[in-house]
Amino acid sequence: MTVVVEMSNVTKTFGEGTSIVRALDGVDIRIQKGEFVAIVGASGSGKSTMMNLIGCLDKPTTGLVKVAGEDLSKLNDKKLTSLRNYAIGFVFQSFFLLPKTDALDNVATPLFYRGVPAREARKKAMEILTKLGMADRHTHQSTELSGGQQQRVAIARALVTEPSLILADEPTGALDSNTGKQVMDLFESLNKEGKTIVLITHDLDVAKRAKRRITLRDGKVINDESGAA
Amino acid sequence: MNILIAARLAFARILATKTRSGLTMLGIIIGVMSLIALVSVAQGATSGIQDQFKGLGARNLTITGTTPQSITIEDAQAIAQEPGIEIVSETVSGRVTLSSNQASTISQIVGVDPDYKTVVDPDIFVGSFLPDVINANDARLIVLSTTLAEDLELDAYSIGSSIAVGSTEFTIVGILDDADGFGTRGTAYIPMETAFKYVAVPPYLSSITVQTVNEKIVPEVTKNLTALLKSRHNITEGREADFVITDASQILDAIGTVEQFLSLLLGGIASISLVVGGIGIMNIMLVSVRERTREIGIRRAIGAQQSQILTQFLIEAIVLSLIGGIIGVIIGEIVAYFLASLGEWNFALSPTIILASLGFSMFIGVVFGVWPARAASKLKPVEALRFE
Ligand SMILES: Nc1ncnc2c1ncn2[C@@H]1O[C@H](COP(=O)(O)OP(=O)(O)OP(=O)(O)O)[C@@H](O)[C@H]1O
Ligand SMILES: [Mg+2]
Repeated sequence: MTVVVEMSNVTKTFGEGTSIVRALDGVDIRIQKGEFVAIVGASGSGKSTMMNLIGCLDKPTTGLVKVAGEDLSKLNDKKLTSLRNYAIGFVFQSFFLLPKTDALDNVATPLFYRGVPAREARKKAMEILTKLGMADRHTHQSTELSGGQQQRVAIARALVTEPSLILADEPTGALDSNTGKQVMDLFESLNKEGKTIVLITHDLDVAKRAKRRITLRDGKVINDESGAA
Repeated sequence: MNILIAARLAFARILATKTRSGLTMLGIIIGVMSLIALVSVAQGATSGIQDQFKGLGARNLTITGTTPQSITIEDAQAIAQEPGIEIVSETVSGRVTLSSNQASTISQIVGVDPDYKTVVDPDIFVGSFLPDVINANDARLIVLSTTLAEDLELDAYSIGSSIAVGSTEFTIVGILDDADGFGTRGTAYIPMETAFKYVAVPPYLSSITVQTVNEKIVPEVTKNLTALLKSRHNITEGREADFVITDASQILDAIGTVEQFLSLLLGGIASISLVVGGIGIMNIMLVSVRERTREIGIRRAIGAQQSQILTQFLIEAIVLSLIGGIIGVIIGEIVAYFLASLGEWNFALSPTIILASLGFSMFIGVVFGVWPARAASKLKPVEALRFE
């Protein structure tokens, strides 16, 4: 089995002296290819901090973080950026689609930055949008789409680069329960196709649909269980 | 490759935000427009002065006797043999009483030869200057300056009527336009031969006006003629000459100074408007980049390199300021064209000014557009994403 994410004895602190915050405190986890993991925990427990490390947006204070085989602390900004582009597909709570850009180009943009020719990138983007049932909306900008539709476009953008890992931070947090369920259905079917998915959530009902749940408290992993809840 | 990607994103962005792009351009348009218009006013106005002055004889020099019996017809003939000289025109003068039916006044009367017209090119208000053909013995024709005609209470319809010069009747053939000349106010002109009969004594002349081949050799000719006349008049080293030679160089210098001052003044005003325009652009760019901080964060998260973000903003800024600059140049030249027709000077496109304005507007756009973008691209993606 291929290890996609590896964290050994990871700490992440913010601030200094007396006001120091240990957002992550000695975390050890391994995520394999094809897993569907939910990271849960109370507010302030360190979920987003962990997601930023897995997403190559930040580096650990101490300890080892390896994503797709690369040791983050050894990478400069350029390499880190390109690792994000190749290894990670982000899905954010508030969608974060690019403004003034239609759905098609939103999905194609990660490929643009990779240097894929525009026509080829758009063709690929269109294929993914079609697969997610958004083909008829490909000319719409984010302001012309519902929340659920925006999240579908965002998921399409995360898929287009064929990343090692899809990383979703509260992907259903801004959606009503019905739309949220549909998004989870989508993640489930993507996982069945073999995609690796890591999602962060408050919502235990959402977490139950993952195959593995990692629970954080005060920056420590207090529970790591596999199988249906 | 990077440039192509960034250019595509930049153009897409400009087209998607037409209003904002237009506003950003507006500052540049106004700045460049005023620069072009004001500089062209400065150039047009001063070239107008120069053109007028060229008509007044930048290649002429005038020899004037310091006493009524200093220079003679023989001097004029000797001068005509010198190199670099095209035309030699002689004048004599005297003071006489002029009387019309209504009034009389004592005036300077100048007898001129046929070449005078060519060399001095007097502007006629009404009628004509002294005709060549009748410049024979006893042609009693006279041309008055406007000032003199007014003193004599004559109007434009007096052409063809007669006035008394001393006790002799002369026919008025023309009245000069005083506005456009130096030293013509209050002067009357009659043919040379006639003047020798009534107001002056040959062979003495009051002045000789020389037209040189071109304006560059004026100083050299002045030197030659001074030497020539000094030897003809037996003026030895150390004694003062009985003539003076004047040319247009002092007046040219004065005009040059005025021109420089005008250009500086208008250039200064134009620079202020460019700076004001630049501050406007800076504001819009700063606000725009601030607003787009989260967008930059998203782009960085999905794999945009710092250099790609920076290149996109750079191209946006260059395209906007270049288009703004071009529109500014076009409007500025149109304004300059209308000002030129209002001010009656020649309209001319100056490639230097156009290129300089375009260069400057691009400079402003790039500096004010890229400096905040650079700061934003250096933000950690996590922080840019959290930006509201
Ligand atoms: N940039 C930062 N500077 C200072 N402290 C930070 C920073 N980011 C996170 N923290 C702190 O680290 C701790 C963990 O924060 P984190 O955002 O990871 O929590 P979370 O589990 O994502 O919470 P939530 O569910 O509310 O999003 C918190 O105490 C937080 O205040
Ligand atoms: Mg969080």
